[in-house]
Amino acid sequence: MQPMIQVDNLTKRYAGVTALNGVSFAVNRGEIVGFLGPNGAGKSTTMRILTGFIPASAGRVQVAGFDVFEDSLEVRRHIGYMPENNPLYVDMRVAEYLKFRAKIKGVPRGERRERLEEVVKQCGLDEVRHRVIGQLSKGFRQRVGLADALLAEPDLLILDEPTIGLDPVQIRQVRQLIKDLGKRHTILLSSHILPEVEMTCNRVIIINKGRILASDTPENLVKTLHAGGLIHVEVRGPAVEVAAKLRDVTGVASVEIGTGADEFVRVTVEPKAGSDPREEIFKTVTASGWTLRELVRQRTSLEDIFVQVMREEDEAEEERRESRRGLR
Amino acid sequence: MRNVLALLRRELNAYFASVLGYIVIMFFLVVMGVTFATVVGYLSTGPKQVTAMKIMFSMFWLPSLVVIPMITMRLLAEEKRAGTLEMLMTAPVTDFQVVFAKYLGAVVLYSLMWGLTGLYVVILRHFAGMSSALDLGPIASGYIGVLVIGQFLIAIGLLTSSLTKNQMAAALMSFAAVFILLIVMNWLSFLFQGGPVSKIVRMFSAFEHMEDFSRGILDVRPIVFYLSATAWALFTTTRIVESRKWR
Repeated sequence: MQPMIQVDNLTKRYAGVTALNGVSFAVNRGEIVGFLGPNGAGKSTTMRILTGFIPASAGRVQVAGFDVFEDSLEVRRHIGYMPENNPLYVDMRVAEYLKFRAKIKGVPRGERRERLEEVVKQCGLDEVRHRVIGQLSKGFRQRVGLADALLAEPDLLILDEPTIGLDPVQIRQVRQLIKDLGKRHTILLSSHILPEVEMTCNRVIIINKGRILASDTPENLVKTLHAGGLIHVEVRGPAVEVAAKLRDVTGVASVEIGTGADEFVRVTVEPKAGSDPREEIFKTVTASGWTLRELVRQRTSLEDIFVQVMREEDEAEEERRESRRGLR
Repeated sequence: MRNVLALLRRELNAYFASVLGYIVIMFFLVVMGVTFATVVGYLSTGPKQVTAMKIMFSMFWLPSLVVIPMITMRLLAEEKRAGTLEMLMTAPVTDFQVVFAKYLGAVVLYSLMWGLTGLYVVILRHFAGMSSALDLGPIASGYIGVLVIGQFLIAIGLLTSSLTKNQMAAALMSFAAVFILLIVMNWLSFLFQGGPVSKIVRMFSAFEHMEDFSRGILDVRPIVFYLSATAWALFTTTRIVESRKWR
């Protein structure tokens, strides 16, 4: 089946600045994809190109099988978009605004009322439907933006920083809403908050300085990008001997002796890439007649990966710069 | 068309949901009311060669200088500043539909304001007694002149609003444009009396056109001129709104 979004070699240059540099990715129907990157990475630019607000400098972008440049209006009919900072007409009332949006989005007259009721219910806007948008709290405004995005029952939802500026309770509500929406829509959302993406998305695209650095499920990213977290072991036994024995276990890269309380030794084991030597460690310790009190593998979060990927990228760039300097 | 109507409705709502629409109308009515009272006072001193409404029409520049910038400054500048242009332009509507609806909204408000001065005609008719003193033909063509010239000035105001995010800057620019188009052109036609230059200036002078309209002369040439100038202004505005795409 044709993917919902197909981006090939997308490049965007603003006067003198390259915001996107040969970005390619695809989003399949039914996926919830998180766009992750620091501020200024090119997330919003990509979304604006997808929605036809600005054109690309080079590359091909298709949404629902339509070319974004050639069939802009058709593409826009398939997208529900919530821009960054969620701009709304602050002088309008909620229901009035949604009615206006339904009209310009081409929701047929007979279905407008029904759609309006549906999104008002979905986004919990019933109590504020007659209030002026400018007087609403940020959380409610965000929900108005979401309701607007949902109005025309789009195949694809594009949400730029949907939880920015919300308080923790509101963030949780919006996240839950996005998760629910993911059952019926394809969603591309951006965020610079990692736990958010980790919690809501089935796939993560990490982007920095206009380039895609990684794209995979959060679990796979953890698996492939990082060998896995460190393993903490607490053993009752002679410190030096314990360290020596553990170093010999297959799958162990290095061992470090920490400070132990009482007669227990605390050892930090760094496993080799892709291996999990916990079982072997357990066997070795018991075979030596020592007592094992703790054996924990530190869970690598997306945050660690993110930081690591960013660092690798920076180092690579540093190297390139160095070599260029060397050539001169 | 359905899109334009939906957008137009939103534009009209925006005028009346904020105080702006009311303030503009109030300002307009105060200026026109004072003018009307003065004119009637002047005419009641004895028989004169002119009619009250003819003087009223020839004073159209006075409220226009303020009213046109006020009703157009917000139109695109505010959408750009608040970022709502992004919401608008990512909905399945074309840039021209948005520009045209904004132009129409301002024209409707402007027509509404001038429509209220129809009350003066009723008052004159009531007190003048003789209907001969009130020839409806020139009055009708005068209103057509006010509309034709005014809609062009609105298109120019909209154009200036598309150039900036700052409403004040837009207002000043459209004030300058209206000032040049109305007042400066009039000065020029005074400066160059007779000769080919005068002929050209008179062709573009809104005062001259208004003079004709309020006399009951419906010349097609100025009407075509203003309508095509409006088309040009709206087209340029659309291109400026689109310019985000090639910058």
